[in-house]
Amino acid sequence: MRRLMSALLREREAGLVALIGLLTLAAAGRDPSFLSVQNWRDILVNAAPVMVLACGMMPVIVTGEIDISVGSLTGLLAGLLGVMCSTAQWGWNPVPVTLLILAGGAVAGLGTGALVTFARVPSILATLGLLTALRGVMIWVMRGNQIGDFPPAIRWWGTGTILGLPVLVCVAGGVVAGTGWMAVQTPLGRRLFALGSNPDAARLVGLSEWRLKLFVFGWCGFLTAVATLMLVGKLGVVDASVGRGYELLVVTCAVVGGVSIRGGRGRLRGVVLAVLLMVMIKTVLVFLKLGDEATKWERAIQGGFILLAVVLDHLAERRSADAGGHS
Amino acid sequence: MFIRLQNLSRRFGGVQALRGVSLDLDVGEIHALCGENGAGKSTLIKILCGIVVPDEGSMLVGGVPLAAGDVQARARAGVAVIHQESAAFPDLDAVDNIYVGRELRSRFFGLDRREMERRTRGLLERLGEDFDPRVPLSRRTVAQRQMVALARALSCECRFLIMDEPTAALSRRETETLFRIVGQLRADGVGILYVSHRMEEIYQLADRITVLRDGQFVCTDTPAALPRRMLIQRMVGRDAGERERAPARVEGPGATVLRVRGLTGERFRDVTLDIREGEIVGLAGLVGAGRSEVARAIFGVDPWLAGGVEVAGMPLWPGDVQAAIRAGVALVPEDRQHEGLVLAMTIGENITLAILDTLVSGPFLAGAPEDAAAREMIRQLGIKAPGPGLPAHALSGGNQQKVVLAKWLAARPRVLILDEPTKGVDVGAKAEVYRLVRELAAKGMGVLMISSDLPEVLQLSDRILVMSEGRLRGELPGATATQEEVLALALPDAMGVGHA
Repeated sequence: MRRLMSALLREREAGLVALIGLLTLAAAGRDPSFLSVQNWRDILVNAAPVMVLACGMMPVIVTGEIDISVGSLTGLLAGLLGVMCSTAQWGWNPVPVTLLILAGGAVAGLGTGALVTFARVPSILATLGLLTALRGVMIWVMRGNQIGDFPPAIRWWGTGTILGLPVLVCVAGGVVAGTGWMAVQTPLGRRLFALGSNPDAARLVGLSEWRLKLFVFGWCGFLTAVATLMLVGKLGVVDASVGRGYELLVVTCAVVGGVSIRGGRGRLRGVVLAVLLMVMIKTVLVFLKLGDEATKWERAIQGGFILLAVVLDHLAERRSADAGGHS
Repeated sequence: MFIRLQNLSRRFGGVQALRGVSLDLDVGEIHALCGENGAGKSTLIKILCGIVVPDEGSMLVGGVPLAAGDVQARARAGVAVIHQESAAFPDLDAVDNIYVGRELRSRFFGLDRREMERRTRGLLERLGEDFDPRVPLSRRTVAQRQMVALARALSCECRFLIMDEPTAALSRRETETLFRIVGQLRADGVGILYVSHRMEEIYQLADRITVLRDGQFVCTDTPAALPRRMLIQRMVGRDAGERERAPARVEGPGATVLRVRGLTGERFRDVTLDIREGEIVGLAGLVGAGRSEVARAIFGVDPWLAGGVEVAGMPLWPGDVQAAIRAGVALVPEDRQHEGLVLAMTIGENITLAILDTLVSGPFLAGAPEDAAAREMIRQLGIKAPGPGLPAHALSGGNQQKVVLAKWLAARPRVLILDEPTKGVDVGAKAEVYRLVRELAAKGMGVLMISSDLPEVLQLSDRILVMSEGRLRGELPGATATQEEVLALALPDAMGVGHA
């Protein structure tokens, strides 16, 4: 038991796999159709946009910063996408619009990064301001309308398939693979971890703090745009609430996945598992057939996991501090 | 000459840290850099590394001027630095710690992990270590982290190596390995700038010794031409004898107010001392000797591991600040901006912060007595401010320090611990702080004063205790002690007695 505890403390991924397994067993025990291909396909499709956002958020947190404006940026980009594509409004060609949205996301991210690195605004405050401001701009852009007439080229992001696999799952898979490779296999990724682990030491080895931070915020903004296309394609409708609350869900996934909020530590596979866990909670609650009221517990359960993750982090830190002191 | 430093100057706020220092460093020799706290060693090293930009002066490597403040240009020119262990990345493993910033690449943009790992194992083997290089450094000992830093320097095949207190955290065995490597490097034609407080190491290793004092170049000589006594004299300066002494005490010492027995913590060991009423005891030593840690333990900020503290016969508990305050201990911390003052609050609010319990009427603060108490303190201490309503951040450093003192005086402590009471305070305000400290002692307070400013310690103290590497090394009478005597005790000479 002791050994199991310490393994769970050390290896966040093992704990997450165990939890996902436990939930699956419980839901499947109640209703075997939980194990059907269709159900897992739904879970993955629902998880895909969150997965992409988490891939953007993780490098930001690894460098010791945070971006809580991603939900509002999703909303704003979705609104712009709607206004530009909708036949009732501007009716532009969807291909350049898609490129424009992707570029817009990256530029918005770079702007946030500039606020943090050059204007030296703490990222939590800068993005708190943007959280409200971007949502406000979005509401202005939408003028209170709901936009639903998206061309097929935009809907393809959410409903199309590639070799029988949903585009959503393919894109999320590609982004996860790319981010994972960047984080582990490239000098850039290592430097991000170094910067978050000890900024002073990073300066001593000649790393450029502003370049690295500009990159992570730009990357986060770009992936927010990708997630926006996925989300809009999937929903087919944009209103003022698109993306609301996503910033907290994504930060929750990162923390539950074992990314240290102080920077320097975290693994993408933990984050991927955490996204799956967070997204499947709702489905599991439905399959457990606890009644209509039960699904309302989703947020509370997600919140419980973040508290659990933080407590576990704290315990692990104390243990390693003790070990360091006596060795 | 491989490295030529010309006329380097640098000022930090009101302090001239470096004043026109020129120095030539050659390859194939070990050059030791000596000086007291504040002599300018760290500033010089930071300029060498490119993390501090000098106000004036230049640095040539191999005859080519280097851009000030460009860390990577130094690496390219073949200059490597071993920083103290705090410069490690705790979350990264040994491989990444060694190669971050100049990673080995494979095809595309990828990392060549395998080759980096292979080389890391080779480097660690050369250093006599055989731990797994893939474990995060936070799970390694301080000494192993230091060895990783050394491995990083070795891995760049540099022509010149700067070592800043490399043995501070090492045991005897590791120190010997380090010396062997340093000897090999010299034989291979690498130049080394070696900074250490340990005299024995300097005389064992150095080919030449350079002394800095008060930010200025004093001399460069061979160890043979600069025997230990003379080196200490050069570090201290000639004017050591001429200074104002504390007036001889008329009345005999009072009862013991602070009794510390065998106090042991993580960074100090077996500290025993007594302070009597009306006595000023100076606690001297080098930065990092463990003096502030002792003060923090006595005041209960950090818990202690063994030993005991009594104030006027009352035992204190480890880690209990409230009990220490009730018993009558006050600590004026070194970092007044962060620990001593609430800068956003007014002078009056700061002064009465420690005595709020006595200023209440019912559940409310009584405004009039608070104001009166603050005004009284401002008058007594000669704080230059129009009134108690001014925010503390509007004051000069010296006046801020007086406000911190006032806060504790208002509480009328039995034991007052001052940590670097005149750090960052200008000369005029220093004299006022000295006068205040003397007055406090005359009122019967026991004062323990930590200071890295030797003349200050000599001038104020009735007795001087000297700490080095976490232990008390000796006691000197304040009336007759000299700077040389204090420094001789403060400089650790047994090698490899790290306190980690």
